[in-house]
Amino acid sequence: MDTVPVLFQVGPFGITATVATTWGILLALGLICGLLTRHLSTENPGFPQTLAEGVVQTIEAAIAAVLPEETQRILPFVGSLWLFVATANLTGLVPGLHSPTGDLSATAALAFLVFLSVHWFGICSAGLKAYLRHYLAPNPVLLPFHLLGELSRTLALAIRLFGNIMSLEMAALLVLLVAGLLAPVPVLMLHVIEALVQAYIFGMLALIYIAGGMQSREESNSRPKGKTR
Amino acid sequence: MAIDWTTFILEVINFLVLVWILQNFLYRPVLETLARRRAGIERTLAEAREVENRAGALRTQFENRLADWEQEKATRQARFEQELTAERSRQMQALAHALAQERERSAAQDAHRQEALRLDLESQALEQARRFATALLARLASPELEARLVEAGLEDFAALPADLLNGITTAARMPGARVLVASAFPLTEEQRERIGATLAARLGVSPDLDFRIDAQLGAGLRLALGSWQLNFSLADELAQFAAATHHAD
Repeated sequence: MDTVPVLFQVGPFGITATVATTWGILLALGLICGLLTRHLSTENPGFPQTLAEGVVQTIEAAIAAVLPEETQRILPFVGSLWLFVATANLTGLVPGLHSPTGDLSATAALAFLVFLSVHWFGICSAGLKAYLRHYLAPNPVLLPFHLLGELSRTLALAIRLFGNIMSLEMAALLVLLVAGLLAPVPVLMLHVIEALVQAYIFGMLALIYIAGGMQSREESNSRPKGKTR
Repeated sequence: MAIDWTTFILEVINFLVLVWILQNFLYRPVLETLARRRAGIERTLAEAREVENRAGALRTQFENRLADWEQEKATRQARFEQELTAERSRQMQALAHALAQERERSAAQDAHRQEALRLDLESQALEQARRFATALLARLASPELEARLVEAGLEDFAALPADLLNGITTAARMPGARVLVASAFPLTEEQRERIGATLAARLGVSPDLDFRIDAQLGAGLRLALGSWQLNFSLADELAQFAAATHHAD
């Protein structure tokens, strides 16, 4: 697949279609959220408010199922991942637009943020020493494997999302080229499902990674003192 | 497959900006609204629980009050029944007493009425007996009977008590005193002499004697001296019998 073309230059930085589309998604989500939450009412919520509350409560419930004690802390990050990845995945269905998640740079950026967030939330939850100590558990010999796992799962996170979305777009393009106008409709429906599933998988994996990092606190607390040296 | 680091960095920044946007325009407002709604619901539930508790307390209070009312009602009803029983007993006693008094009064009236009836019957019987005796003696009246009554009268005169005899003697000694001798049948000369002799013997004086015939006497004599009168006749005896009977009544 070719690299994403640069649309324009801002000084030394080339703004690609991925970044431009991401800006559009940011603007659209910001406007939609602003409109949905402009007149919130506790007594008589309308349909937009009910929709917004449904989305937020669904995200909150999904996070609470994994980390019930830290739901409010990680909800903005994980929820934003779900909303952005889902929106970005579905953007490819719009003719003329490029899905940002079909660009490895974007998925790598998201995976990098997940990588950082795992350590950030883990350190915030357990403290630096306790968090770093869990890399030495159960044996310091396993430290290289822990580090390798961190890198590999981040890389897998980025490449999985990129590969699925890129392949979906390519398949849809090939079917469109081969079978005409009506035949790609099932493929596009599959695209919708796959986009939502991949968004869910990406967010859920991020949530699980974050939960694993935060659970290092519990491991350090439950471990006998004699073995923590 | 190559990574454009400009895109990488801008995507990182973009996502952080998105997190900020969603945090300020979606998550926080919606979560705050949900929290306010939950608080409102909790407040409403608390108020409902409070109302329920208050209702429960009121219900308990009402049930207690109802039980008190029932107990008070039972107590008052028992007291009323006791008072009713006592009043009934008192009324029955008063009625029994009144009935006893009435019965006694009625018995007394019956006894008085029977006594009056008995006396009346007795009086009637005596009257009838007197009439019968009068009729019988009137049929039996004769000079012989009168002779026997004269003899009996003279015997009775001879046996008069002293105090009575003294009074008669005093009357006989009055100047001009005369003894009226009444008989139903004419007396014989012998009878007249015996009467005079007997009077003289008992009185100590010989008074003048006036002999008269009085058929109302039936048989026998009636001696009258001043205010004194001695009856030895059937009519006088029957009259005395009737008077004695009335006096006995």
